[in-house]
Amino acid sequence: MEYLTVALPKGKLFKPSAELLEKIGYTADGLSDKSRKLIITNEEKKVRFIITKTADVPTYVEYGAADIGVIGKDVLTESGKDVYELLDLGFGKCHLMMAVPKEQKRAKLTDYAYTRVATKFPHIAEEFFTRQGMQMEYINLGGSIELGPVVGLSESIVDIVETGTTLKENGLEEIAYIMDATARLIANRVSFKLKFARIGNMVTALSKLVGKEGQP
Amino acid sequence: MKKNNALLKIPYGTRDFLPEEAAAKRIIEEKLAELFSAWGYDEVVTPTMEYLDTLTMGSGGNQTEHLFKLFDRHNSSLALRHEMTTPIARLVSGRLKEQPSPVKLAYLSSAFRYEEAQAGRQCEFHQGGVELMGSGSAAADAEVIALAIESLRAAGLKNFRLFLGQVEFVSGIMEQYQLSDKQKKEVKTCVEGRDLVGLNHLADGLEATDAAKEAIKKIPLLCGVEETLQAAYAIALNPQSRRALDNLSEIYELLQAYDVAQYVVFDLGLLRDFSYYTGMVFEVYTEGLGYPLCGGGRYDHLLADFGHPASATGFALGIERLLLAMERQGCEMAPQATDVYLGYGVSSLTAAIKEAKRRRAAGQKVELATMPQTQEDAAKKQQERGCRELVYIP
Repeated sequence: MEYLTVALPKGKLFKPSAELLEKIGYTADGLSDKSRKLIITNEEKKVRFIITKTADVPTYVEYGAADIGVIGKDVLTESGKDVYELLDLGFGKCHLMMAVPKEQKRAKLTDYAYTRVATKFPHIAEEFFTRQGMQMEYINLGGSIELGPVVGLSESIVDIVETGTTLKENGLEEIAYIMDATARLIANRVSFKLKFARIGNMVTALSKLVGKEGQP
Repeated sequence: MKKNNALLKIPYGTRDFLPEEAAAKRIIEEKLAELFSAWGYDEVVTPTMEYLDTLTMGSGGNQTEHLFKLFDRHNSSLALRHEMTTPIARLVSGRLKEQPSPVKLAYLSSAFRYEEAQAGRQCEFHQGGVELMGSGSAAADAEVIALAIESLRAAGLKNFRLFLGQVEFVSGIMEQYQLSDKQKKEVKTCVEGRDLVGLNHLADGLEATDAAKEAIKKIPLLCGVEETLQAAYAIALNPQSRRALDNLSEIYELLQAYDVAQYVVFDLGLLRDFSYYTGMVFEVYTEGLGYPLCGGGRYDHLLADFGHPASATGFALGIERLLLAMERQGCEMAPQATDVYLGYGVSSLTAAIKEAKRRRAAGQKVELATMPQTQEDAAKKQQERGCRELVYIP
């Protein structure tokens, strides 16, 4: 049997992903995102895990360096990668939104047309604003997006929010909802076909688990 | 200096074939040409450019943004062909209209499509393929599939799988549950893109029975060998879907007779371009290549769009994709070494020409020196040029 290669993102999605996969028998000794080894193999089960930077998971899967992977819907949509989206895993729930400084809030969303928006998600943001008929100036940042309006770099931000605490602490207010995001199981197009027996069973087993846990 | 660099550039998405690459391409194309001809398919050549309206006939309209467009001197819109099926459909509906049916045609040609270029996926690419027009039988479909498999085998590709679906199966299920046209399109888009999350969401949002929702969710997971067909029959509770599955069973039996069924996997979520295909559809995948290297299916409406209704089926395979897959799988590519380096002394050029002529006539590949040499220099040249043998005429 050939190896099934699974790409897992470092960071907050790592632990729940690894735990969920372990429940259906996909795990390996020493699987941790603190591990210095970047590839961890389970010879007996023929599974190989690669641990990568979050934003790189879709790339590994699109090119088939990994057969499947776990990634947030926000990062997946932003990447625009051509992969199959197999299952909503339910965890890592957050949403993408637009926020502005509370003090200088304008009356309508469209009043922000032609202003600067700081974001890590320029593609999603552009699609959203285009749908509203708005042209914007996009300022791509790698992190601490909330800083943008505070230091006068931009008039607004587009970012993910879990609890809203960071927004509040920086005097920002959400004015437009863009999309929900949770962790997704994704697959390479060719692997899905050529390794269908294993990936199909995995989806069936995981969907039972996710369904069960999803219920209150 | 800068100016010279620009002169050496080639347009985005195009490539040069260096001698070895060109030789590998030539060998594959010759094998394909021979095979197509052995199966009774006659080669045709159509123009590199066509009227835009011709190419955007049928579902070609979806392709408009991928076309290379230009104007002729009367300002008519032209485009470079993006595939060969539409030009051949035009040909068969026009000058070949009187031809007794079925018409079996083959091609080996370049095509052009704006793509984000990757290895094996370029804006200018080469295709080989066949079209069988004027027969709606499962026998015609099986012949086309078997020929596609034989083409890959003849080229020397080792590991590949052909995924076979039938678009009417999915259409039947959606008809059965009375989905609106908009819903049908959404479901098909999710199924084709294997967006299972989107599909589940759509299915849950339908006003339908739980059985209907489960059936729709199951479509993209109907992938596998023979037992998949049985699983598909279990959810195909309408005549249209059952006919589609009967059609696949019949094709599969014929593929067993062709001895190629071992390459075939059923994949009922495979739809390809669903506004275009009307029956069986297939794609060939191989390890290490992120997109299909060959695809085809039945398209019974295209010829009607050209005013000459006839059923049709066919396939196209990507030559560059095949070459890349073979290279990645370490398949043997025939060596191209020249047999003889023919050197000569100061006054022996005439004799050397005669000798070269004699050996070439006997089927040897001969490289004739471009100037007189000593035997030692000729031997050095022979090594440098990688020729197998040295012949020297003093």
